Amino acid sequence: MITFERVTKRYPDGTVAVHALDLDVPAGQTMVLVGPSGCGKTTSLRMINRLIEPTEGRILLDGQDVRKQDQARLRRGIGYVIQQAGLFPHRTVQDNIATVPVLLGTSRSAARARAREMLALVGLDQDLATRYPHQLSGGQQQRVGVARALAADPPVLLMDEPFSAVDPLVRGSLQDELIALQAQLHKTIVLVTHDIEEAIKVGDRIALFHPHGTIAQVGPPEELLGAPADSYVADFVGFDRGIRRLSFVPATGLPLDDGLVLDAATTVEQARTRDQGEQWLLVTADSRPAGWVPVERLAGLPGDMPLSQVPAEGFGHAFIVGSESLRVALDAAVLSPAGVAIGVDGDGRVLGLASFEDLRAAITAASKQELAVLAGGPGQGVGASQDDDVITEPVIGEEPGGQPQAVTGQEDSQPASSAGAAP
Amino acid sequence: MSFFSWAWDWVNQRSNWSGQGAIPQQIVAHLGYSGLPLLIAALIAIPAGVAIGHTGRGSTLVINIANAWRAIPTLGLLVLLVVLLGFSALTWLLPLVALAIPPILVNSYEGVAGVDPGVRDAARGMGMTTWQQVTRVEMPVALPLILVGLRTSAIFVVATATIAADIGLGGLGRFIIDGLSSDQYGQVAGGALLVVLLAVLVLVLFAVLSRLLVPAGLRTRRREG
Amino acid sequence: MMWSWIPENGSQIWQLTQENIYLGLAPALYGLLLSLPLGILAARWRWFYPPVLTVTNILYAVPSLALFIALIPSLGLTDTNVIVALTVYSLCVILPNVVAGLRSVPEDVRQAATAMGYGPLRRLITVELPLAGPVIIGGLRVGVVSSISLASVGQLIGVSSLGYLFVDGEQRDFPTEIYVGIAGVIALALACDLILVLLRRLMTPWMRERKGPAGKVAAPEGAPELAGSIT
Repeated sequence: MITFERVTKRYPDGTVAVHALDLDVPAGQTMVLVGPSGCGKTTSLRMINRLIEPTEGRILLDGQDVRKQDQARLRRGIGYVIQQAGLFPHRTVQDNIATVPVLLGTSRSAARARAREMLALVGLDQDLATRYPHQLSGGQQQRVGVARALAADPPVLLMDEPFSAVDPLVRGSLQDELIALQAQLHKTIVLVTHDIEEAIKVGDRIALFHPHGTIAQVGPPEELLGAPADSYVADFVGFDRGIRRLSFVPATGLPLDDGLVLDAATTVEQARTRDQGEQWLLVTADSRPAGWVPVERLAGLPGDMPLSQVPAEGFGHAFIVGSESLRVALDAAVLSPAGVAIGVDGDGRVLGLASFEDLRAAITAASKQELAVLAGGPGQGVGASQDDDVITEPVIGEEPGGQPQAVTGQEDSQPASSAGAAP
Repeated sequence: MSFFSWAWDWVNQRSNWSGQGAIPQQIVAHLGYSGLPLLIAALIAIPAGVAIGHTGRGSTLVINIANAWRAIPTLGLLVLLVVLLGFSALTWLLPLVALAIPPILVNSYEGVAGVDPGVRDAARGMGMTTWQQVTRVEMPVALPLILVGLRTSAIFVVATATIAADIGLGGLGRFIIDGLSSDQYGQVAGGALLVVLLAVLVLVLFAVLSRLLVPAGLRTRRREG
Repeated sequence: MMWSWIPENGSQIWQLTQENIYLGLAPALYGLLLSLPLGILAARWRWFYPPVLTVTNILYAVPSLALFIALIPSLGLTDTNVIVALTVYSLCVILPNVVAGLRSVPEDVRQAATAMGYGPLRRLITVELPLAGPVIIGGLRVGVVSSISLASVGQLIGVSSLGYLFVDGEQRDFPTEIYVGIAGVIALALACDLILVLLRRLMTPWMRERKGPAGKVAAPEGAPELAGSIT
C-alpha cells in the first residue's frame, strides 16, 4: 500500500534524518516505526503525507508517487493523528471531527451526523459532541483526535506518538481500543512510537530504526523478539525478550492435569481421603478457583469442616485455555504458591492444572517450531512472516531452561508435535 | 470645586448642546476622527500581522516595532506634519493611522504565532490549504488577541485624536484646547469628561464584542504546561 | 533643518531633557513601588486580582490629556500633576507583569524553598521576586518608555519637558525644533529601554537571551495567557 523507495531526507545544514530508506507497508495492517529519539521515524511518517518532502527517492501510495497529487488533496485522503491531539480549541468536538468531511464538500449537518457516529466508534458519550476540547480529559481528546482522523474514512491512517502524552493507564486502554478498531476497520496504519512495548502490542509489523535514519530490522513482533538481527535490536527490544516472546505463543497445547481440585463444600475428612501425595490443594467455588490450601494445613483441623472455612492462599490469576498465551500461563504459575498454573475456560471455570514442567515442555516445543520456520523449514509458523526482507539468519539463542540451542537449518524439519500443535 | 462639578455644570448647560461646534457635533466628529484611522489601520495591520505570524518571516521587524512605537511622542509627530505640510486631511489621518497600526500588528502577529503548534500541524496535515489554515483555524484562534490589539489601538486613537485638537482638528479635544487658551476651565473639564466617557464606552464595546465573537472554547483556555 | 540651532540652544535642550527624564522615570519608579505590594497580594489572593484589573483597565483607557486636566483642581498645573497621572499609567502596565511574573514561578521551586526552611517573606525576596524579575522589568520598560513619551503631552497644560519644543516649534513654524524634540524623546526612551534590558541581563545570568518577542503592545490585559506577551 505504501512503499518507500530509497528515500533520503537531508537538511540544508547537512544532517541526514533518513538515509536511503526502503520500506513496504502492506495494506490493511499496522506498521509501527519505532526507535530512539532522532532516528528519523517521525520524519519518515511525515513524508508520507508530504508535511516533509524527501530530498531523494520517492514514496508510493497505492502505486502512485505522492508528489503527483496536490498536497492538500493528498492529505484529505489520509488520516493524521498527532501526540498533542491538535484539536481546534475554537470548535466543538463534533465540528472538530467533521473537519475533513466538510473540507471534502459534505454538508455541515451530514458531517455532524457522521461525527456523532465516529464518537460512538471511539467509545465516547454522545453528549461530548457539543463540548469544547478544553473541557475534555487527555484521553478523551486523543480519542476525538482519532475520530477526527477517521471521519472521512481514509484508507490510510498516520499516527505520530498518539498515546505518548497520556498517563499509562489511559494509554493501555487507548492501545486496546486501537487494536479493536483495527480488527473492525482494517485500515493501513503507520504508527510512530518510541515505546517498544507499544510497538509489540499494537503492531502487525515493526520497523526498528537505528539512531541515524536507517532500519535495523523489519518484521512481525515475535520475530524481533525471537530472532533479533543484531545486538542493537536485541538490546532495544529488552532483556526479557525471551519471556515476552511467549505472548505470541498460544497456550492451547498445554496438557492439563487434574491435580487435587476440590469444591469448597468438601469436608476436610473427604479431602484427606482424596490426597494422593500432592502438596497443594485447589479449592473451587462453583467450579471457579477460590484459593490454594497447603495439604499439611488439613492435619490439625476438624474432619467435618468444609474447605471453604480453611484459610487459603491467593492464586494470583488463571489463564484462559485456548485464547491466552504461554506468557500468561507462565505468569500464573509464577504467582501461584503451588507453582502451578490454573487453566480456565472462557467463563472462569477450572479446566485443569499445568505445572512448571508442563510449561517448560510447551515453551521448548514452541521455540523449536519457530526456529524451524525461521530457518525456512516447513510447518505452521507461529506468526512468522514469509517476506524476503525478514532477516532469517538463525540466532544462537538461549532457551528459558538455560540450554543453548544452535540451529543449522533443516535440523528440525518436523515440528515437534507432542506439545504445541499449532493453531 | 472638583473636576467633576466643573465638568458636570458645563455639560449640563443647554447652550453647549446647540449651535456650531457643540457637544453632539464634536462627539460625532471625534468618533469619525478615531474610527477612520482605526479602520484603515486594521485593514493594513491585521492581514500583515497574520501573514507574519503564519510564515514566521519578518518577526524581528514586528518585535522592534513593538518596542519602538511607544517611544514616539504623538504630539511631536502631529505638530511636525502640520508645520511641514499645513493642516489637511493627510496631516491628521496619516499619523493617526501610523500610530494605530503597531498594537494591531503586534497582537495579530502574537495571536497567530501563538497558536498551539499541534493545532497548526493538525490543520496542515488534515489537508487544509494555506488560506483555509489561516482563515478557518489560525485567525479564529488568534481572535482574542486580535481584539485586544484593536482595543488598545482604539483607546490610543481616541486619546491621540484628542491631542490633535492642538493642531486644529475638531472633536472633543477642541473643547479642551480652546478652553485652555481662553482660561475656561469648565469647558476644559467638560471636554475631558466627555473624552473619558467615550474611552470607557470603547472599552465596554470591546468587552461586548469579545463576548459575542469569541467562542466559549477559547475563553477559558489555559495553556498546557 | 537648521543644524546650527542645536548647539546654539544646547543648554535649553539639555534643561528640557533633564525635566523630561524626571517626568519619565519618577512615575515609572512610583508605579513599580505601588505595583509590587499590589501585585504580591493579587498573586496570592486570586479573588483580589480581577477587580483590581478592571480598575486598571479603565484607568488606562483614560486619555493622558484628560487625566492631566482632571487633576488640575487638586494638583494644579504642576509637575506633580503629570507625575501622578503618569504613575497611574505605569501602575496599569507594571502591575499585570508583577502578577504574571510571580505566577510564573514554578510551583515546585516555591515548594522546594519552603521545604528547605525559607519563611514566606524570605522566599518572596530571595526566590520569587528574582525569578519574576525579567517579566517585571518587561513591564517596567513599557512604563518608562510610555512615560517619557507621554510627558511631552504635559506641555499642553504648561508642564515643561521636551514637549516645549513641539509647542514652540508649532507657534514659530520652525520644523528644526520639532525634529530635535522628537529625536530627543525617542533617543531618551530607547536609551532607558536599553539600560533596563542590560539590567535584566545582569540580574538573570541563568537565563539565556530568548528569541521571544519583548515589550508587548497589548493593553495591560490581566490574563497573561491571552496577552501572552509580557516579557
